Amino acid sequence: MTIRTRILPRASRGLLLAWFLVPLVPIVLWAASNRWSFPAALPQVWGVDGFRNVLAAGAVDAFVRSMGLALAVAAIATLLGACAAQALVRADVHFPAVVAGILFAPLALPPFAVALGLDVLVLRARIPSTVAVIMLLTVAAIPYTTYLMRAAFGAYDIGYEEEARTLGASTATILWKIRIPLLAPALSGAALLAFLVGWSDYVITLLIGGGRLITVPILVASLAAGTGNDAVVAALSLTAVLPPLVLVLLLSRLRRWRSR
Amino acid sequence: MSVELSVRGLTKMYAGQATPALSGLNLTVRPGSCTAILGPSGSGKSTALRLIAGLDAPSAGTVCVDGVDLTRSPAESRSIGMVFQRPMLFPHMSVLDNIGFSHRASGQSRRGSREQARRYLDLVHLGDIGDRAVTDISGGQAQRVALARSLAGSPRVLLLDEPFSALDPVLQTEMHDLVRELRTELDQTLVLVTHDQHEAAALADSVAVLIDGQLQHHSDIATAYTRPSTLAVNRLMGGLNEVDGHLDARGTHHSAIGALAVDGAESLGAGPAVLLLRHEMIRVSDTGVAGTVSSLRPTGFRSIADVTICGITVRVELPAGAGTRVGETVCLQIPSAARAVVRR
Amino acid sequence: MKSATVATGRGTVWVLPALVLVVLVVGGGVFTAALQSLGLMPLVGEPALSFDAYTALGDDLWRSLALTLSLATVSTALAAMIGLATALSALSGSRAPLVAAGLTVTVPHLIGAAAMGLLLADSGLLPRILGSTDGSWPELVGGRWWIAVVVEYAWKESAFVAIVLAGTLATRVAAFDETAATLGAGRWARLRLVTLPLVRPALIASTAIAFAYTVGSYEVARILGRPYPEPLSIMAVRLFTSIDLAARPQAAAAAMVATTLTVVVAVVAVHFLRRSAIWR
Repeated sequence: MTIRTRILPRASRGLLLAWFLVPLVPIVLWAASNRWSFPAALPQVWGVDGFRNVLAAGAVDAFVRSMGLALAVAAIATLLGACAAQALVRADVHFPAVVAGILFAPLALPPFAVALGLDVLVLRARIPSTVAVIMLLTVAAIPYTTYLMRAAFGAYDIGYEEEARTLGASTATILWKIRIPLLAPALSGAALLAFLVGWSDYVITLLIGGGRLITVPILVASLAAGTGNDAVVAALSLTAVLPPLVLVLLLSRLRRWRSR
Repeated sequence: MSVELSVRGLTKMYAGQATPALSGLNLTVRPGSCTAILGPSGSGKSTALRLIAGLDAPSAGTVCVDGVDLTRSPAESRSIGMVFQRPMLFPHMSVLDNIGFSHRASGQSRRGSREQARRYLDLVHLGDIGDRAVTDISGGQAQRVALARSLAGSPRVLLLDEPFSALDPVLQTEMHDLVRELRTELDQTLVLVTHDQHEAAALADSVAVLIDGQLQHHSDIATAYTRPSTLAVNRLMGGLNEVDGHLDARGTHHSAIGALAVDGAESLGAGPAVLLLRHEMIRVSDTGVAGTVSSLRPTGFRSIADVTICGITVRVELPAGAGTRVGETVCLQIPSAARAVVRR
Repeated sequence: MKSATVATGRGTVWVLPALVLVVLVVGGGVFTAALQSLGLMPLVGEPALSFDAYTALGDDLWRSLALTLSLATVSTALAAMIGLATALSALSGSRAPLVAAGLTVTVPHLIGAAAMGLLLADSGLLPRILGSTDGSWPELVGGRWWIAVVVEYAWKESAFVAIVLAGTLATRVAAFDETAATLGAGRWARLRLVTLPLVRPALIASTAIAFAYTVGSYEVARILGRPYPEPLSIMAVRLFTSIDLAARPQAAAAAMVATTLTVVVAVVAVHFLRRSAIWR
C-alpha cells in the first residue's frame, strides 16, 4: 500500500517517540552512575557499582527463580492455549461461545482478587506455593495464548496436511514436520506473551508466595521501598527488562530470517 | 458529458529493480470510449492503472483528464474511479451504504446517500438486496455492487483492473453484458485492464498491448487481431501461426508454404520476416495449399487441426462438426485478410 | 460465509486441560473470595452469612471505589488516544513510535513504576533537567492527583493499545483505504468513515482489557501513590497481609467490589463488540 495518509501533524512523530522512550532514560542513567546527587542533571560519577550491589542483594537467585517461573508459564500456557484454540477453530466443541468466554474470563478479573481467594484453598490443599503461582499465572496467560493461536489456526491452511496425508505421512510426521513448523511464528509469539506475564508478575507472587518466593519484581519492590537505593533499583530494573527485550528481538529476527 | 483521458510518457521505476515496471506509456482514450490494456502478468498494466488513479506516484510522465494535468493531484480529487479484482466492499456497511459511500464522503447525509444509491443498485439489477450485509451476497453480486459503487461516484474516468477474472465463465459473460448495457445508458470513459483477449474484444473499442512495461500495439480490436505490431502481440491476441521466411520488396512472403502476398507489407522492406496467419480465417476447401493433418485438438465445440505443409505446421480452426481426420490430405484457402507480416 | 457444521464434540478433549485449569483457578478463587467476604469461610469460628465485612469498611470502601474508577478511566482514556495516534502514525509511514511502543510493552509494570518514580519524583530526572530544583516541582509522585500513577498506567497501556491496533490496521484497513480514495473520500473522510469503524472492535477490546488491568494493578499505586485514599487493590492487600485475622473478610470484600467493577466493564465491552458487525 502506497497511500500514506498523513493524519497527524509531523511533530507528533517526535512527541510519540519521546512519550515511549523518555521514561526509560533515568533507569539507564541511574544504572550507570556511582554517584548522582541532587540537583545535578547528569551523574557526577559514572560506574557500575549499582550492578555490583545488585549481585550482592541476591539478584542471581531471583533471576533464576523468575526465569524458571516465566519459562514454566510460557510452556504450559502455550500448549494449553494452542490445543484449545485448535479445537475452537475446528468447531469440534459443544457451546464454543461459552468455552471461549470462560477461557477469556481471566482478562476480566483482578489477579489480586483471585489470588486472595485462592490462597486459602492452596493452603488447605497443601499445594506448594510455587506450583500455585505457576497455575495462577498460566491461567492469566491463557487468554493471550488462546487468542493468538486462534488467529493463527484461522489463517492455517489445512491443505498442507491433507496433501501430506495423500503422500503417506503418518499423524506424528504431520504434526512435527508440517503443523508445528508452519505454526512456529504464532507459537513463539504466544510463548513470548505468556513469558511476559510470568516474568512481570508481582501481586500474585506476593500474595501466594507469602514473601518467601523471591522473584525479580519482588526484589525490585523491596529495594525501591528503601531510600538511597536508586542505583541498585535502576541496575536491577535494567536487567529485568533484558530477557523480554532479547526474546522480542530474537523473535523478530527469526521472523525476518524465515521469510527470506 | 464524457471526457478524454490522456497519458504521456508515464514511467514507473520501483526501487531495487533493474527495469522499469512501466516505460514511457503514451495513451489517449477518447471521450466515452473503452480502451482495453491487454498484457501478460507482470507487464505493467496494473501499475499503469494505479498511476492513472493516483494510488502511486509516477517516476515520470503526466496524466491528463479533459486537458487538465492531474499528476500532482491526490487520488481522491481526481474523480477517477477504480474497480479492483476483488470487490473490496466495506465490511462494516450494508450494500446500499457501500454504494452511497462517495455521497457520504462528500458530506451528504446517510439518508440522502442511500436514496441516491438506490438508482445505481437498480442499474446493476440488484434492486432487492440493498439492506443485506456484504457477507451475505455472492461473488458475482459483490462485483456488481463494487461496479455500482464506483459509478455512484460519477467518476469522469472509470478504471477496471481485471474485475471479472475471479468469476466463472458464465458469470463473466453476464458481467460483460452488464458493462455493455451500462455503456449505452451512461456516457462513460472506460479503461479496462485484462489478460484475456476475448474480454478485450467483448468490451473495448480499442486495445493497447503492454508487454514488459512497454506499449507494443495500440489500435482497434479487429486490427489487433489481423495486423499485430509484433510477434509477442500476436501471441497475446491468440495467434497460433508463425511461419519464418523472407519478405521481398513487393510485399510477398516466401516460405516453404509458398509465396503469399500480404497487403501493406511493402512498407516493412525486404528481409527476413515472419508470416502470421489467423487460424480462424483459414478455410479447408478443394483448392489451395495442400498439406496433411498431423493432429487434431478439440477447443470446446470446435477444434484446431495441425496441418503439415512441407515440414511447416499451419494450425487451422475447423468448424463444428467437421469430419476431418488425422492423416487426411486437405487443401487450405488462406485469404489475404488472414495474412500479416512482422519482424522477429 | 457462515459455517453450517454441527459441533461433534470430538475436540472437547483438547479444550479440557485449559478449561479445567481456568475454571478451577478462577472459579475457585473468585468463589472463595466471595464466601470469605460474606463470612462463610472464616479462618476462625463458625461460618455465618453476614455483610459485616462490607459495612466495616464503610465510607472508605466507596472512596476507594471512586479512586480506582477515576484512575482507571483517566489512564485508559489517555492510553486509547495515544495508542490510536501511534497506530495511525505507523499507517502513514513513521514506524518509529510503534517500535518504541513495542519496547515499552516488554517493560514489567513494576519496573515502569520504578522508572516513573526516577523520572517524576521531586528528585527525579525531569525536575533536574527543567531546572525546577528549588522545591517548586509539583507533587506528581504521592501527590493529591495521583499523576505519576496515571502517567505510568497510560504509558504502558498506550503501548499495548498501539500494538493491538497496528496489527488490525496493517492487515484489514490498508487496502480499504485505497478503495475509499478512488471513491473520492479525502483524508478525514477516510479516517471517519473507513479507518475508525474498522478499528473499533480492536479499540473496544484493548481499552477494556487495559481498564480491567488498571483496576487489578497493585504495584504501581503502591510505589507511586499515597497512603490515603487507597485504591481497592491496595486496600485488599493491606487487609489481607495484616496481623488482624478479622481483616481477611474485609480484604475479600474489597476484592469482590473490584471484581464486580471489572466484570461490569467486560460485559459492557462484549455488548458493544457484538454490535460491531465485523467482530469475528
